[in-house]
Amino acid sequence: MPPLLPTANAGATTRPEIMPLGEDPADREAIAGPLAAVEALLRQPRRVVYWARQGSAGRLTGILFAIALVCSLLYGIVVGTFSLNAQLWAAPLKVAGGFFLSALICLPSLYIFACLSGARVRVSEVCGLIAGLLALMTILLVGFAPVAWIFSQSTQSLPAMGALHLMFWAIATYFGVRFLQHGFSHFGGRPAGLRVWSLIFVLVMIQMTTALRPLVGTADSFLPGEKKFFLSHWVEELQK
Amino acid sequence: MGELPELLRGEARRTAEVWAGESQGWVAYVIWIVLGGALFGAAVGWWRAPLQACYTALKLPLILLLTALGNGLLNAMLAPLVGVPLTLRQSLMAVLMSFGVAAMILGALSPLLAFLVWNTPSLAEAAARDSRNHGIILVTQAGMIALAGFVANLRLWQALRSFSGRGKASLRLLGCWLAGNLLLGSQLAWVCRPFVGSPQLAVQFLRAEAFQGSFYESIFGIMRRLFFP
Repeated sequence: MPPLLPTANAGATTRPEIMPLGEDPADREAIAGPLAAVEALLRQPRRVVYWARQGSAGRLTGILFAIALVCSLLYGIVVGTFSLNAQLWAAPLKVAGGFFLSALICLPSLYIFACLSGARVRVSEVCGLIAGLLALMTILLVGFAPVAWIFSQSTQSLPAMGALHLMFWAIATYFGVRFLQHGFSHFGGRPAGLRVWSLIFVLVMIQMTTALRPLVGTADSFLPGEKKFFLSHWVEELQK
Repeated sequence: MGELPELLRGEARRTAEVWAGESQGWVAYVIWIVLGGALFGAAVGWWRAPLQACYTALKLPLILLLTALGNGLLNAMLAPLVGVPLTLRQSLMAVLMSFGVAAMILGALSPLLAFLVWNTPSLAEAAARDSRNHGIILVTQAGMIALAGFVANLRLWQALRSFSGRGKASLRLLGCWLAGNLLLGSQLAWVCRPFVGSPQLAVQFLRAEAFQGSFYESIFGIMRRLFFP
């Protein structure tokens, strides 16, 4: 009789996702620098959450914010290549500024909602998770950058480019929020409060794109003179 | 932060210990009221003018503190009458704690309100052009205040229950305190208006007619005009 082929789950014990943080030795591998942080965010988010809970989390939080800043500036340059000229510097500033402003606006309410949901979390840990959220979102956007650039050079349609960037942003936001929810699950929180906050965060980010317009097109001034909600802005742009 | 995170999570045991022993716990509660109330008040008043933001930032914590102090004696007398053995200091701390929790929640939500105000045409423009913006701001403010109030009162009831060990009596006491605080608080808010203000009126700390009339007379007048035009 030929030997039996080993099954896929041979030797597996408990599922890693329900194991407490730190019990898996891989969680405790140090995150040395930005490249290690990027790899950890994509492949081993538990490592990021584990180190965000340690006393030295400030360094990791700083690295993650720096990654988010660099990646958002890079993606902003790609956004600006549609209209070129002033948008090559205005779009990166607005994209990076929009991400960080949105996070800053929503940070206090995230702490409140996390506590209300029962999570045992400190403000520094919330900052670490927000930094991870931003970093993961912007890393994914950089991954989409070549695709966005090709479309920027191919089409003249402003609504089409806007919709494309929104679609990439939506995908990045999905994974970023999933990281955040995964992180908070290790703090003992119930998911309901975080879902409400996620909705608020998404709305704030969407509105921020309108508040800082134009990101893709051109304008006479850096910021718009007229204030409007994002739905009105989208309807007006589609009607043009 | 003090025991704020535990309170928000609904862990009332430490709060009960604070009421029973520590004499300086009220300082943290007052700080929460001032900080959170000022931030939310500033966001509310900003839609009218930066000066109105400053005025409302001063008035909102003042109303909360004056309501707690003004009803302090009444709240302390009601507590043992409905079966919750609280002293004057403990009942005052309990009310200050609930106001502090509400204020901190409002303070945390204030950046969201400020962002909404930033994205809305100014009050004068909104009044002239489209009342929907006015409605969105008011509904958002009301929703935030409702959320903060609900959580604060829920936590207050849990803390009272943990401290006294009497669930039903704590609920009765909460009801009595709510009624008394509503009565005094609404009138204080009436006297201290405006909080947002009107584009047709100058930005003022208090209206000239602040001490003429009352909140309930105004409500009565509105209802009468509504049903008996």
